[in-house]
Amino acid sequence: MLNQLRQRINLFWAWIGLLVVVIVVGLYAAFLIFTKGLVVTNLTDGTPWGLWIILDLTCIGLSAGAFSLSALTYLLGQESYRPLARVAVFIGILGYSGALMALLLDIGRPDRFWHGWVFWNIHSMLWEVTMCITFYFLVLTLEVFPMVVELPFFDRLPWLRELGHRVHRFAPVLAIVGMGLSLLHQSSLGGTYGVVVGRAALFRPTMPLLFIVSAVAAGIAFSVHLTLIVEWLSGRLLVPDRVLFQAGQLAGAILLIYLYMRFWDTTAGNYGYVPGRTEAFTTLSAGTFALTFWTWEILLGGLLAAYLLIRARFRNSIMMLLIGSGLTASGLAFNRYHTTLLAFTEPLSRNPPLTDPLISSYTPAWTEWATAFMILAILALIFSLGMRYLPAFQGLQVDKPLEERLPRLVGAAR
Amino acid sequence: MSEYIRRLNRREFVKLVGALGLSAAAGAWVWEEFWAHDNPIGEVTAHGEGGGPYWAMVIDLQTCIGCERCAFACQATNDTATGHLWNIVLRDEETFGKPVFLPRPCMHCEHAPCVEVCPVKATYHRPDGLVTMDYQRCIGCRYCMVACPYGVRVFNWEENNEENPMAPTWGTPEVRRRPRGVAEKCTFCSHRIDAGLERGLRPGYDRAATPACCVICPTEARVFGDLRDPNSPASRKMQGRQAVVLRPELGTKPRVYYLLPT
Repeated sequence: MLNQLRQRINLFWAWIGLLVVVIVVGLYAAFLIFTKGLVVTNLTDGTPWGLWIILDLTCIGLSAGAFSLSALTYLLGQESYRPLARVAVFIGILGYSGALMALLLDIGRPDRFWHGWVFWNIHSMLWEVTMCITFYFLVLTLEVFPMVVELPFFDRLPWLRELGHRVHRFAPVLAIVGMGLSLLHQSSLGGTYGVVVGRAALFRPTMPLLFIVSAVAAGIAFSVHLTLIVEWLSGRLLVPDRVLFQAGQLAGAILLIYLYMRFWDTTAGNYGYVPGRTEAFTTLSAGTFALTFWTWEILLGGLLAAYLLIRARFRNSIMMLLIGSGLTASGLAFNRYHTTLLAFTEPLSRNPPLTDPLISSYTPAWTEWATAFMILAILALIFSLGMRYLPAFQGLQVDKPLEERLPRLVGAAR
Repeated sequence: MSEYIRRLNRREFVKLVGALGLSAAAGAWVWEEFWAHDNPIGEVTAHGEGGGPYWAMVIDLQTCIGCERCAFACQATNDTATGHLWNIVLRDEETFGKPVFLPRPCMHCEHAPCVEVCPVKATYHRPDGLVTMDYQRCIGCRYCMVACPYGVRVFNWEENNEENPMAPTWGTPEVRRRPRGVAEKCTFCSHRIDAGLERGLRPGYDRAATPACCVICPTEARVFGDLRDPNSPASRKMQGRQAVVLRPELGTKPRVYYLLPT
């Protein structure tokens, strides 16, 4: 019965169809936002940043695998990481595209998106982020370009393919530039919050460091996670298991370092009473966010994820690696969610009660959800098509049946 | 190039990184020295220390009766949308053991977080130190709203097509409405100051050159003027009184002083 169904519907194209539906709904919401303005969202003067900023930070954080694994491959000479780095770079360009789409929706004047390039405020963290993301997007484009021109479609344009080969020769240079830009903007995204002097919950010099270390851990883990899922669904081996286990262990170790830093940031940062920060920490650990903070960000996405990532290699368990890497990525998403909204759940000042009228509880409007899912669907669409058709991801020689590694979920999709 | 990098040994790599670092430092120095001077941030005049007037607002918590006329006049004069006021009156029950009204305009900080964080310099210090906005440049990222320690900023979530409920009873709109999608805030009625100075009037003394909220205040709890002029209404109001600013620990140096109730 199930087999008959599988034969009748090609699951891959059903998946693509589902994504297209999500994209169409999101396009309608985006149309409303662009024509009527941000009034159709639930953002307010008291909560000026919401779901889109969380999505933006998560996309960029999970894209950090691109620069970390490229650096491992091309700068530290760990050639065995090359296939994983390729996947990570592909995830990277998609992640940054998603972030750019989210920002375009978020800013009130999308027609002026280019102002950051022309009117420089070198003192602004957000300007620094704008420039770095622009340049890093170019770097990622150059890194992905050689993969794309390998498509059979480009057989008719041999000069373009030749150009691709030439660009690829500069991979080590691109890795250096990419690492430099990422080290700047991954951390200054944390700095964007860290320099906000008026909000004690955010005003911490540790923010840039926490952001980049968590991004490196979750970025590598996310690359491993998606690689495993693609292998699982497609039945192709993209990256040797040994490399995936190693990368997972690396991500787990970095995640532990991050948790260590986070521990001291939290304990030393909340020593005694710091107006605003102490209340914010209470909101985080025992109030509005307590459930997701403890269960997801700390236990599942932090400690358990690190354990699974490190242990998977010794146990030779692909399942542990799959779950551990997924939890790490979701932990980062929850961290960005808590960090962003924590800024607005605390009044600016209690004495005098400065912002009483501005405090607002925030739940994203359907327009925000629809466009956020649209962005994710666009990314998933391009990712699925890329994994299916790009020659770089057509797989390695299989030395053992993949079905043995994970319970078989989908057979028809390969 | 890639061959060169592949053959790098550790010693050469360290040299390369050092050279890159040095050139970055040199570039930053050249930038600061020769280029950054048209940057309004960090300039002496931006902090009102260039010898010009030091505009400030002085609000007497003792005499403020919380009538909110300053908020009405502000909404009428600056044509702001209902619910997105530039000037609000807060009620503080705790601090002084009795209800005190706390009108809150923009503080026009000397070290304004909003000016520092704006990615496109749409918010900037005027030469006289007031913090104003270029609505044509603002991209609507709302970082200034996140950064402002006093919550004074509001956003144009939609085109404001409503009739102004405060006009003409409490004043007439004197500035154009801002377009959808940009942030905005109290300007200390800089348009009145500028127009007044052009006509030879003295802000603080002459009503036409003074912020609308100060002009309308029925108890003169709220006055404006140049703190470098010892006779200005603002300076005279401060004499013999204890003045505080909001959240002084942040180092923003606000230009709005509150006189504590006696």
